[in-house]
Amino acid sequence: MKLYEYEGKLIFSKVGIPIPKGIVTEGRVVWNGKAVVKAQLLEGGRGKRGLVKVTDDVNKTIEEMRNSGIGKFLVEEVVEHTREIYMSIMMDRSSGEPMLVSSPQGGINVEEASDIKTLIIPIERGPRGYDIFTVEKYLRVKGLESVIKGLYKIVTEYDADLAEINPLAVTDRGVIALDSKVILDDNALFRHEELLKEIGRKEESDNYVELDGDIGIIGNGAGLTMATMDMVKLMGGMPADFLDVGGGADKERVKECVLKVGNNPKVKKILINIYGGITRCDQVAEGIISAYTDVKKPIFVRLVGTNEEEGWKMLEKVGIKFYQDVESAVGDVLR
Amino acid sequence: MKEYGTRVVAGVSPGKGGSLVSGIPVYDTVQDAIKEHEVDASIIFVPAKFASDAVYEAVDAGIKLIVVVTEHIPVIDVAKFTRYALTRGSRIIGPNCPGLIVPEESLLGILPPRAFKKGKIGIVSRSGTLTYEVSELLKDRGQSTVIGIGGDPIIGTKMQDIVKMFDEDPQTEEIVVIGEIGGTMEEEVAKMKSEGRIKKHIVAYIAGLTAPKEKRMGHAGAVVYMGMGTFDSKINAFRKAGIPVAKTPYEIKDLLLKV
Repeated sequence: MKLYEYEGKLIFSKVGIPIPKGIVTEGRVVWNGKAVVKAQLLEGGRGKRGLVKVTDDVNKTIEEMRNSGIGKFLVEEVVEHTREIYMSIMMDRSSGEPMLVSSPQGGINVEEASDIKTLIIPIERGPRGYDIFTVEKYLRVKGLESVIKGLYKIVTEYDADLAEINPLAVTDRGVIALDSKVILDDNALFRHEELLKEIGRKEESDNYVELDGDIGIIGNGAGLTMATMDMVKLMGGMPADFLDVGGGADKERVKECVLKVGNNPKVKKILINIYGGITRCDQVAEGIISAYTDVKKPIFVRLVGTNEEEGWKMLEKVGIKFYQDVESAVGDVLR
Repeated sequence: MKEYGTRVVAGVSPGKGGSLVSGIPVYDTVQDAIKEHEVDASIIFVPAKFASDAVYEAVDAGIKLIVVVTEHIPVIDVAKFTRYALTRGSRIIGPNCPGLIVPEESLLGILPPRAFKKGKIGIVSRSGTLTYEVSELLKDRGQSTVIGIGGDPIIGTKMQDIVKMFDEDPQTEEIVVIGEIGGTMEEEVAKMKSEGRIKKHIVAYIAGLTAPKEKRMGHAGAVVYMGMGTFDSKINAFRKAGIPVAKTPYEIKDLLLKV
């Protein structure tokens, strides 16, 4: 779960990472003088879109951004600083340990930074004085202990996949996190109920991702569903979503999925790709059929595996097109 | 698994000790089970909140091969138990995986038997159903071993470990690698191939051409952070190493050496 900047900063303040003074608002605020107004969106690139603004008239700026459809803002003091650096900690997949990534080139997209240092800090020992010294020396900045320990704690105790500060401002009163990017591990949200309550968020599923196209995609298994999306693209279409019904989906689950995709106004046709192992094709067919009358959009079903013949018979009866190989199904969807 | 010929000697479920399931005795703990039976592998289907305990229990009982089918275990817990297992000499496959099959011999997992036939192709995959799909397409040639290593960001046995084993396995002639976006295992495989550490022919497929960045695509591991493990990075690594890359799962067959 990706957090909004202000939510990430709330966690920063809990773990002792210095942040600018500020308030979160949806409308007018009481603020004296100059401030930075930052639209609270989950997408990056806010600066380029004019959604982060230094202003003398806070409420006027909020009003302008509201008119362009933004609902939530973080109003912060302007932090005078001499340099901007980059720092993050994430779980490194190859070592299975938290990895600190830093760069003296802050404020830019880290993928484009040429000067980058990574440092594995094993869970068994946690960050130590020599780690902090090493990073301080590399970045030529003192006083990074609270930031490094704080980010480490967000990964190891708050179960973040990624905790990032970009930029971290170097000021004469120490370093201050100007931005935050925190992505929590969805699998671990069950043990952070209090935090979720505090920020007013709910556990969400990663089984559905919306895209820009017009062909609704449903599959079972993440790999097969992605492969189906990719084939639609390769054969000239544009997928509208990624939806994995999951392992062993029953008719209710399938119905819910077909309705979800079918009710997306962008979706013109629906492609369903099922290889039944622990998933039963008759259950899949039943789920599709019960959603079909409500959805009223063309559905193309590739269905093989456990109880396939029962599934085919059921689809045939109601006139839903079904296939055994994916290529013909995709071909017909795009025709 | 039993029907397929796997010798399933015991089940473990706390509080259900003493009962029988399909004629297989159930025990309260793994320790109880190993007192009565010789066990060389364990498969874990325990729900995510309790799965870590089950892994530790199996490792402590000295079981050398542990397949974790369970999905949605917190990443940091996986990081901890995979290391624990490693230091005590147990191999973990998964989590979030369908397990493995040696066609017509043994099944340790949930792979549907209809997709497999004894043969000479080794398949390693980060996926479940996509593995079945590809295996079935290659059924004419048959498979030596098929392993789903799991869709999580941190897993017990990596793609490069399995590719190395296939390379040394006399039953395997060619290797099929089914990857997806996120992480750098595919890049590691490509590196091993270009350095000559893998001798056998490899064919690769990568899912996720159309996946947007920083979005988890169903699998916890199918996500790109900080530009690492993108679709392009994997495809380019394979191409550089001279590993043919199938555009779709259906092209894999045409890229194998023997038809």
